[in-house]
Order: sequence, then C-alpha cells, then structure tokens
Amino acid sequence: MPDNDNLKAKRNLTALVEFSRVINSSLDLNFILNNVLLTCLGKFLATKGLIALNVNSKILLKTSKGITEEMIHKFPDISAGEDFLSNEEFKTYLQESNLKVVERISSSNDCLGIICLGEKLNKEDYRKDDLDFLRTILNISASAIQNSLIVEELKFVNRELDSRIQRLSSLFELSKEFGLFSESTKVTRLLIFSLIGQFLIQKYVLLRFEGKDIEVIEPKFPVDELLNNIKNIDYLKIETPLNKEQVALLFPQLFEMGIQVIVPMQIQGRTKGLIILGKRVNDLDYTDADIEFIFSVGSLAIISMENRRLFREALEKQKLEEELDLARDIQRNLLPQKIPVYKNFEIAAINLSSKQVGGDYYDIIPLDKNTCCIAIADVSGKGVPAALLMANMQAFLQVICRQNIPLDIATGMINDLISQNTTDGKFITFFWGIFDDINNTVKYVNAGHNPPLLLRNGKIIKLETGGIILGVMNTVFPYQSETVQLQPKDVLILFTDGISEAMNKNGEEFTDKKLEELALSISAESSERILQKIKQEVQTFAEGTIQSDDMTMVVIKVK
Amino acid sequence: MAEFSTSVKDKGDVSIISLKGFLDAHTAPILETNFVELINKNRYKIVVDFNELAYISSAGLGVFMAFIEKIRENNGDIKLASMNDKVYNIFDLLGFPLLYEIFKSEDEAIKKFLEK
Repeated sequence: MPDNDNLKAKRNLTALVEFSRVINSSLDLNFILNNVLLTCLGKFLATKGLIALNVNSKILLKTSKGITEEMIHKFPDISAGEDFLSNEEFKTYLQESNLKVVERISSSNDCLGIICLGEKLNKEDYRKDDLDFLRTILNISASAIQNSLIVEELKFVNRELDSRIQRLSSLFELSKEFGLFSESTKVTRLLIFSLIGQFLIQKYVLLRFEGKDIEVIEPKFPVDELLNNIKNIDYLKIETPLNKEQVALLFPQLFEMGIQVIVPMQIQGRTKGLIILGKRVNDLDYTDADIEFIFSVGSLAIISMENRRLFREALEKQKLEEELDLARDIQRNLLPQKIPVYKNFEIAAINLSSKQVGGDYYDIIPLDKNTCCIAIADVSGKGVPAALLMANMQAFLQVICRQNIPLDIATGMINDLISQNTTDGKFITFFWGIFDDINNTVKYVNAGHNPPLLLRNGKIIKLETGGIILGVMNTVFPYQSETVQLQPKDVLILFTDGISEAMNKNGEEFTDKKLEELALSISAESSERILQKIKQEVQTFAEGTIQSDDMTMVVIKVK
Repeated sequence: MAEFSTSVKDKGDVSIISLKGFLDAHTAPILETNFVELINKNRYKIVVDFNELAYISSAGLGVFMAFIEKIRENNGDIKLASMNDKVYNIFDLLGFPLLYEIFKSEDEAIKKFLEK
C-alpha cells in the first residue's frame, strides 16, 4: 500500500509539473482557463465544471464544460468580496447545476475568481486529498491567470491608445490639409470623408450659415424635410454639441429623421454651421469623446473656410487700394503742375486729398499771354466714379475754354455733357472765371458752387451769379455770367466745402463764418500766405481728425 | 507630399483597384475619382487591393463609406484584400470588419464575387 501511495504521489507531482509548464507557456486567457478546467475534470473524473473570474469586482462566468446554455445564462450576480457560499441565489444555482465543489482562485492578495466542479463520475464525494490537490492546481494556475489578465488589460489599453493616436493623427492631418486647400468645397468634402470614415456613417449633412442663407452641403437626408425642420428651430442658438438624447429631447422632428448628433461649427463662439449626423452603421452610440472629436474637426474646417474668405477679401481690398493709389496719382497729375505768373494777379492753389480718391478739382489754364481761366469744382460722392467724372469734366474744360465760346454758353455745354454722362444722380458744383490781365477783370459763372469770396476794403462780396449745379438736367435755363472789375488789393478766394465744412473730433464744422472772418483778418497778406494761414487754421481746428473730404483752395490776389 | 497612386484593372465582372503609398486627406480624392468612374461604368463589383498601401487615414476610410451604399444598392460590393498589419489595425480600430469583407489575397476576394 505505501508503494502504491508513493507511486500515486509521484504521478501527481509529474502531472503538476507538466500542467504548470503548459499553462505558464501561454498568455492566452482562454487557453489557460480551458486547460485548468479540463485538467480538473480529468483529474477528478468530474462531468462538468466552470470557471468564473473577478472582473471589476464582479464574478463573471468565463468558461464552462458540460453546463447547459440555459444554466450558463442563469449564472447569478455575485461580487468578488462576498462569501459566495452564504449567497442563497448562488447556492440554488449550484444545486440546480449539480455542482459539488466551489473553490476560490486567489493570487497573493486578490480573489481572481472561482472554479466550480460537478459530481464525480463514480458519484463519490470529493475527499480531503482531492480538495488539497485542487487547491494546489489553482495555486499554480493563479499566477498564469493573473499574467494573462494583465496582458489582456494591456492589450485593451494599447487599443485605446491606438484609437487616440489615430484620432490625433486625423486631426493633425486635417489641420494640415485644410491649410492647403483653396476651395471650401474641398474642405467640406474632406471633413465629410474623415467623419464618415472615422465613425462609419452613411447619413449626414453639413449646413453653413451666411447671414440668413443656409448652404446645404452633401445632404444624405431629404433636403426639404430637413430645411423645414431646421427653419422651425433657432439653429444659430445651437452653441454646444447635442448628443442623441439631447436631439431627441430638444428637436424631436430631427430625431425622427434619424439624426443622432448635431455639432455646431463655431468661430469665436458664433455658430456658422452645423454638422448633422445619422446613426453609425455599427449601431454604436457616439461617445462624448467622439462628439468632442467631431467638434474639433468641425471647428478646424469652419476656421479654414472663414480664413480663406477673409484672406480673399483682404487680397481684393489690397488690390483695390493699390488701384486707388494709382487713381490718386493720376488725379494729382491732372491738377496744374505750374502756376503761371501775371502782371496783376498773384495766384496760389492747394489741393489736400483725403484718404480716398476724391471729387475735388481745380485748374488754372493760361489761354493766351493776358488771359487765364481759373476753375474749381466738386464732384458729388467719392471714389472711382467721382474721379472718373472729374477727369471727364477736366478734359472737356481744357478743350472748351480755348474755343472762344462765351463763358455762359460754354457752361451750358459742359452741363449738357455732364448730364449725359451721369446716370446715378451725380452732380458737380462748379465755378470758373476768365481773368483778364489787361483790363484787370474777371468774368465768371457760378454753377452751384460755394460762392468764392471777393475781399475788398474789409468787406466780402460773394460771387454767386450763374445757375444750377452741373449734371442734374440738360441746360434749359441759360447760365448767367458776370464781369467784375477788380481793384488793387482785392483778394479772391475759391474753395470747396472741404474747407468750410472741415470737422473736428467733436463733429463740429469749421463754418463759412469762421472762414470769412479769418479771410478778412489776413486779406493784406500775399496770396500764398493767405492760403497757408487758412490751411493752418483749418488743420488746427480739425486737430488731426481724418477728413472725409478733399480740401481745395485757390487764392488770387490783385497786385 | 505623400505619394499615392492607384491602378484599375478588370477581371471579368470584377474590377480591381490597387492602391500604393499613402491614402490620406490629401490623396483621398484620387481614390474617389476611381470609384466615381467605376460607378459611371456600372461596374459595382470592386476589389480593393491594399498590398502596396503603406498608410490609410480616416479621410481615406471615408471614401469607402461614401460609395458603399450606392454600390450595394446595385448588387455590388467593395471587398478589401491584402492589407498589411498596420493598415488592417486602423480598419479594425474603427470597426470596418463588421461592414466589409476583408481577404488575405486579391484572388480570394475575386473568388468570393464569383461564388455568388
């Protein structure tokens, strides 16, 4: 008998060593559990058994042999901490399944799980040495099970990590790509590709808001129904992403269309578009992290589209400004470069352009040795249209003043021309005069221009004779002209309303009154001094306020 | 810039698109064009050969999603073949094996079409 026992002990030992070798050679949890269970069933000649493991403090059935499907499903909820054998539900389960032995699988400090074994084939009870042997097997198994659990956990963590890396690289890739593209259609296409690839989506649509317009991009929902539903809601107020529950709660009509997620595309907190997504084909819900990702990608896309729009606008503006600079140069060149010298007249002139191309104009055209045409005009409006009209006017003036046509008739002709050339209510205020150096006279016509000031003996005479402004209608009533006999020390000041209406930062105007008082006080000075003083006074008054109008002035002093 | 190219060949009813290089946001439109052309020719049985594909991003995967519905509506399918482990891992991560049949080789994928 002792020999027999020895032999048995030796066989047991060999089997244990072999068992240990096998289960420690693998990190595959299923393989290990399967092996443990089969070894036990073989050793004790049991017909059924199961192993359940501790997963997050719950004991879950992992592998079984000889247990019916029904009983597998009926495995009760037990927690790892409790004393299972006093759990009535578990006891009933063991009885129903005819499981006779329950043993914990424990590592040094944790309960890893339990093993349950059924009745032995020979109906005998488990003896004490059977149970000792079972514990030995389980002790050997514990480390292998724990190792493989750690590996599983690592695999899971790795996969999570892979998933995050994949998302990060998607974000990175899109941000790079969005920077390169020139068209917003490409940006939206890429955005869609990325989202449907990332989340397995077949129903989607992008909406972009521009003012009151809604641009519908690549709709895979019925557009009419969608727009109807969208227009019924305050879509610009969707400022945070909405998940399935929120969509269902807030916008049931949209939810019924199969919409599960609505994510705003925002710039500086303002919703400029929506990403609307249907369900994922794999029937998984969108997690918070998913929605966060969609929000990030959407922001990237809308910022890229908006940047491109702003960039294009800036380019156009820059181009326009360059053109305006050019126009300003051309316009400046249209003004007289040289002021002629006369026996009786001392002439000074100035034109200060505001930032824009303006509509002010003056000209000094010597007609012959003794006569000179001096003109001043202000075209309504600013910018290129005003500048064009002014150039047109100047060209005509250069021609007509040399034709020896009486000034009043010539003014009518200019008016007809300007009236034909303007369509949008533009007009010109215009004053011109022919200065005669021999007779010391000026013959003038004033077509609605600020009356030039004739300063004589401390008084002001306003030169107002003429007619209506140019360009309003063809000449029906002829213009009147007046000839003024000039006297020595007379000063004639021609100006545009940029002078009299110059504004300071409080929005107050310089006023005609102030101009007249100033002019009278300095009328004894030379024409150049008078001009400079008026300019200085106006600029001091304006205190550096940017003027919207040109300032133009011609001063003629009679010697 | 990452290089990417495709070539398309027909074997009977089945068209095979072979991918090479990097399929990402930048190159996705190339593959998109391939699908559009095949669909325009009413060729809906498509095998995509990944043998020489080094990398795929979610924008690349999106191209497959964009056309699958239309293709399946026309009794066709997109079957995927010969992926390296890195590429397969991305498909797997995003759950594509649920929706697409993935084969070890182009021939196996073609054979699957012929069985039907």
